[in-house]
Amino acid sequence: MQLSFTPEQEALRQQLRNYFKDLMTPELKAELNHDFKHEGGGPLWREAMRKLGRDGWIGLGWEKEYGGQEKSPIEQYIFFSEIMKAGFPFPFLTSESVGPALAQFGSESLKKEIIPKILAGEISICIGYSEPGSGTDLASLKTRAVKDGDDHYIINGQKMWTSLAEFSDYVWLACRTGDPETMGKHGSISMFLIPMSHPGISVTQVKTLGSVRTNATYYENVRVPKEWMVGKENRGWGVIMSQLNRERLALVTHGPIVGIFRKVCEYAENTRLANGQRLIDQDWVKMKLAKVRAGAEAIKLICYKQAWSIAQGGLDMAEASAAKVYGSEYMIEACRDLMEILGQSATLHSHSEAKILEGELERLYRTLSILTFGGGTNEIQRDIISIFGLNMPRPLRA
Amino acid sequence: MNFGLTDEQKDIQNLANQILGDQVTPDELHKYDMWAQERFNGALWAQLADAGLLGIAVPAEQGGMGFGFAELALFIEECGRVLAPVPAVPSLVAALAVHKFGNAELQAMLGGVASGEVVLTAAFHEEHTYNAYEAQIAVSGGKLNGVKMCVPYANIATRMLVVAKDGADVALFIVDPKDASVTLTALKATTYEPQFNVAFNNTPVQKLGGRDAVQYLVEHYTTALCAYQAGALEKMVQMTAKYSSEREQFNVKIATFQAVGHRVANCYMDAKCLKLVTQQAVDRLARGDDAAAEVHAAKMWLGDASHRVSYATQHLHGGMGVDRDYPLWRFALWAKQNELALGSSTQHQIALGELIAAGNYDIDW
Repeated sequence: MQLSFTPEQEALRQQLRNYFKDLMTPELKAELNHDFKHEGGGPLWREAMRKLGRDGWIGLGWEKEYGGQEKSPIEQYIFFSEIMKAGFPFPFLTSESVGPALAQFGSESLKKEIIPKILAGEISICIGYSEPGSGTDLASLKTRAVKDGDDHYIINGQKMWTSLAEFSDYVWLACRTGDPETMGKHGSISMFLIPMSHPGISVTQVKTLGSVRTNATYYENVRVPKEWMVGKENRGWGVIMSQLNRERLALVTHGPIVGIFRKVCEYAENTRLANGQRLIDQDWVKMKLAKVRAGAEAIKLICYKQAWSIAQGGLDMAEASAAKVYGSEYMIEACRDLMEILGQSATLHSHSEAKILEGELERLYRTLSILTFGGGTNEIQRDIISIFGLNMPRPLRA
Repeated sequence: MNFGLTDEQKDIQNLANQILGDQVTPDELHKYDMWAQERFNGALWAQLADAGLLGIAVPAEQGGMGFGFAELALFIEECGRVLAPVPAVPSLVAALAVHKFGNAELQAMLGGVASGEVVLTAAFHEEHTYNAYEAQIAVSGGKLNGVKMCVPYANIATRMLVVAKDGADVALFIVDPKDASVTLTALKATTYEPQFNVAFNNTPVQKLGGRDAVQYLVEHYTTALCAYQAGALEKMVQMTAKYSSEREQFNVKIATFQAVGHRVANCYMDAKCLKLVTQQAVDRLARGDDAAAEVHAAKMWLGDASHRVSYATQHLHGGMGVDRDYPLWRFALWAKQNELALGSSTQHQIALGELIAAGNYDIDW
């Protein structure tokens, strides 16, 4: 056991910190600092993505044959944690979950066409799974792809919460291609990768509490060649599971909370109350900070251990779910404690006069609820813990 | 970065698990309930010594294995898994401090620790103190006066480490509890562990070191309690998963109710978190790095996680959780004792807050 970084890992982290300091120019920060544009998509964001691609960072963990660097999951995690801490909206689902699933299941021609562009930072891909009537029970989805001759499908349906669709280049779309009655609901789904510019696709925005834009996407007689299918017909569920398992790992990192904890500590050190005392010397502030830290130590160790386990080739499903549940629920409480320390001014928006810490916590508290249900609700994650971590029988389902 | 164990560490873990699993049965533990017998299994202690486990962290030249705190913590975790009726934590952690700070004469005692013939213990608590650094009893002119409380196994100890005032600061001393100037009064501790009030009346002492020695002992002892409790919590969670997977109501296993499964999942997460923060504290101490903040964080987790897991696992067992013929209830006793020993979660939260206010707030490695 050695719970610390090697000198090489420490050097990588330092290199990344300096790199992201340069990447996050004031102009880029200004471009991102607009409600419903925090997730990127603007010209400076696109340029930063291409720079990340050129400098080899997007392909950090990818195989050399795709132009990657074949670094271990530990280095990859260091990259993630630092980019999240720096506040750059990296569309990690494209390179970390859809990309690897595509490499696993896609046709040779599709892989050759798409993966180099992912690693170059040229494209992003949004995910079309959820529908108005299909969330946690994803396999009940109703968007249909019907054969049109031997070589085409025609797709009709609606997807919900299609985040990043407004600027994504492709959609990773789950469709019903078989009869669920005879083939089972899991055995009648297929996956497609479709350019968002293709005729018949439309997008309407959904504004969320956290100033994060997401979308409803509509598919009306979208005619696609069969080459755009990923994996075999009616075998899409395995592709979805492969993608989701990777997604869960990327949802919770300790970088952001460690970053904001540090900023609040520095603020409390440098702020004096009316009576001349430092904010950080108030007993109640020390108690709050200690509580946040004890929790943050745990999430840090959970995340590091997860990265190490993946590097050993033995990620435990229950531990991955525990990371997601604990991390998402802890973040909500930590954010509350840190905001208390800043006081009511913590509620000033990033565009306000007299904002504190760039209004970061004012937005953070509005975004955190997403993590407890996104990427598989915490109820499902707790089921996974009891089933796979503790060998308990599956909960009853209707 | 490496969360794995070496082959030697796995061997230690397996050996301890096997011996303790075989010997510490519910019937064995039942012997000590309600203080019916002194909670010390001498035959088991001798068997652990024969297996080399009491000498894990004793130098090879003294007859030990010559490993360090990382390996000792693995053994202590296994003791916690079964609530072993032996003084592993006080004796073997005190031995670390003797090895670190003791003179040649004291080093010679370590062979006896490894063979089990010498039992060491440590005295921290006093009336109206909440952490070891607040010691009020004092050494003056080489003599110790005052009363320590809740000292485990003081009756069988060959030597006792004592935290006491030495002028303006605290220091670590070693005394012979068999000296005529020492009076033991047996207490009835909630765990049935033999504990004593120890009154010193001009007791001769030998000084091991100043505040740094106190800090060394307190941090290792606190972290050892965390390792013990990490083992205990894992066992409690496993028992509860098994029980709820077998118990039927409404013609189904109660584990199939999400409300039940989720509460066990919460216990699983608490146990995992305690284990990880404990491993971090152990790793830093074993390397001789500053571990003050990490130890406080680990003890906060010990108190909070043990409290939650104790009541949740009792609850999920229904009446069985409190039935003294089923083995869970004793774990509730140790959860509470270890929560309060060497400072509650709140005390460690206060101490961690002081470190943060002093500028120690970089959490990343």
